[in-house]
Amino acid sequence: MTETGAEKPLVLAVPSKGRLQENAAAFFARAGLSIVQSGGSRDYRGELAGIGNVEVAFLSASDIVAQLAAGAVHLGVTGEDLVREKIPDADAKVELLTPLGFGGANVVVAAPRAWIDVKTMADLEDVAAAFRARRGERMRVATKYVNLTRRFFAERHVADYRIVESSGATEGAPAAGQAELIVDITTTGATLLANALKILDDGVILRSQANLVASLGADWGPATRETARIILSRIAAEEEARATREVATALPHWNEDLGAKAKAAFSARLRFFASDGLLTLNCPTDQIAPLADWLIMQGAAHVCVAAQDYVFSARNPLYEKLIDRLPPASSVI
Amino acid sequence: MSLDDLSEAVAAHLIAAGYARCEPPILQPASIFFDSGEDLRGQLYLTTDVSGAEYCLRPEYTIPVSRHYLASAAEKSASFSYCGPVFRFRPGQASEFIQAGIESFGRLDREAADAEILTLSVEAARTARSLDFLVRIGDAGLFSRFLEALDLAPQWRRRIARGHSQGKTMKAILNAPAASPSADYSGVLALLEGADKRGARALVEDLLSIAGIASVGGRTPAEIADRFLEQAAMKTGFGFSQEKAELIERFLEVEGDPDAASAALRKLAGEAGLDLSKALDSFDLRTGFIAALGLEVKDLSFAAGFTGNLDYYTGFVFEALDDPKGAEGKPVAGGGRYDQLLQRLGADRAIPAVGAAVFVDRLGARPEQGTS
Repeated sequence: MTETGAEKPLVLAVPSKGRLQENAAAFFARAGLSIVQSGGSRDYRGELAGIGNVEVAFLSASDIVAQLAAGAVHLGVTGEDLVREKIPDADAKVELLTPLGFGGANVVVAAPRAWIDVKTMADLEDVAAAFRARRGERMRVATKYVNLTRRFFAERHVADYRIVESSGATEGAPAAGQAELIVDITTTGATLLANALKILDDGVILRSQANLVASLGADWGPATRETARIILSRIAAEEEARATREVATALPHWNEDLGAKAKAAFSARLRFFASDGLLTLNCPTDQIAPLADWLIMQGAAHVCVAAQDYVFSARNPLYEKLIDRLPPASSVI
Repeated sequence: MSLDDLSEAVAAHLIAAGYARCEPPILQPASIFFDSGEDLRGQLYLTTDVSGAEYCLRPEYTIPVSRHYLASAAEKSASFSYCGPVFRFRPGQASEFIQAGIESFGRLDREAADAEILTLSVEAARTARSLDFLVRIGDAGLFSRFLEALDLAPQWRRRIARGHSQGKTMKAILNAPAASPSADYSGVLALLEGADKRGARALVEDLLSIAGIASVGGRTPAEIADRFLEQAAMKTGFGFSQEKAELIERFLEVEGDPDAASAALRKLAGEAGLDLSKALDSFDLRTGFIAALGLEVKDLSFAAGFTGNLDYYTGFVFEALDDPKGAEGKPVAGGGRYDQLLQRLGADRAIPAVGAAVFVDRLGARPEQGTS
């Protein structure tokens, strides 16, 4: 643990095990931030190589959410599903800075496939009411997502149900007679299918993936903010590099008008233009081929496209997103 | 007046009116509130003892007081009052607040009991805060009786009653595209349409049993088949006509003082050839009792569309708003008749029940922030 000055270090919480841990470590490594576990893999504290004033905490995904909500860690990697489930007023307590492109899964409402008359939440509302009228008992929904379920069902006016909390193997609850339907997380839907369950047409509660999440209630002093700025600028630089390509060409008659067209049609941004007509653009990966075609139609002889490792910019969108949500920093440390 | 003084004034007024004080323990078994729905369950403050039994801080009084009545005097009629803290998780608001109220069980002179609950709770609120209220009244039983008299297919009656409780307009309920069977089956349903009903049902049931499904998710193949075919019928508008839709809309638009509204409803029923006389006689009788107890009838604002949650309320409903013009008013008292609750709580028969709550925290000059 390193300490600079009087201020406590920035605490970054990352998952302590499984696929999420590997993916998170790979994500930070891509951004040039390698996580160093101080005393072997048994140690639950670590550092970011080359960046002072950071403490890495290895925690379970749900502990990360709790610590973010409590303000005990500054930044954390965890699934949006847990953030929305575990923090009652999530948008006031934390800021989802950026999705990380892994840990993707949907939280869905699934009913028995044999319910051929139930395709939508409106059907479910009707069936739930009839179920209760006939049996005097509410239909049971097995889930570990108690709060997400309550919110979603209330929005869809489904009232006649009762939650049965389930911590594991939720998809087996209907077959075991413990519940009539379930709310659970699924990636491919294969487990649901194997259990003779189907996702309702409008039954996707949340499309979740791992996010880099900032705690708004943590102690954000000037030094911690500066550390966050450095970390986030590297992450933003890697993100920008991953999502875009550098396009170089020569077009002597390039002008503002063409620049506006390139931006409107291909989301390409001019990065550099020299008076001899050499220019460099930055363009989203999936727009590269159409942009190259268009540049050639404008008279370019060659269009060279290159992948980059990092694109650092004066503007740091991730840090701006964070700083916008924090109170003004006091000048006194 | 301080909050303590307000509470005492309200409680004393209710006891003086003959409603014996009943104060159930603050710590209650959590499961007794589960049947009130997940909305309330989500607001509970829960705790467990060493044996794992789940308890909660009392979120409301009606269920504990009803259980007290069932355990003590269920064969006689009885009435109770209460006043004390209740606890609910409400984001941005105090989680502990004071509720006073009255419950009356087992009285067969329903109209008189309704009138007494209304006038007593409004008076109690007035003793604490001498302000004019807007008193809105409605009748869930009248609306249910009206839907019954229209002779709708049961699935339509269910859907309209529920849609109305959810605050939807008739148009929204009738045009809801969602509850229609999905496109996958529309061809099959078109074939079955008009076919012999029992035959169609047997076919669907057979198909389900070929798949080896005896009962999945607690519903039987017969139930699934029934509703599958019901959806087909609803799609073609079976059992529901434009005239009936218009009648329901006209019914729900009736508003005004109770006497004028009653006359308007009688006229509507007469034109439509529906027999609402028994329900409206009872309505008028209640209005008479309310007048006899001293409330100005012409100051009451009746709306046929004001029914409360039809799953809970079965008859008279009311609320007193702290703004006489009603525009910005918050309820300071409210309640109604809930004749089904006691049976759900385990009584062997339906027991008439009517009650009201007074929201003491709202009676202060200006509500204080965070009483807890």
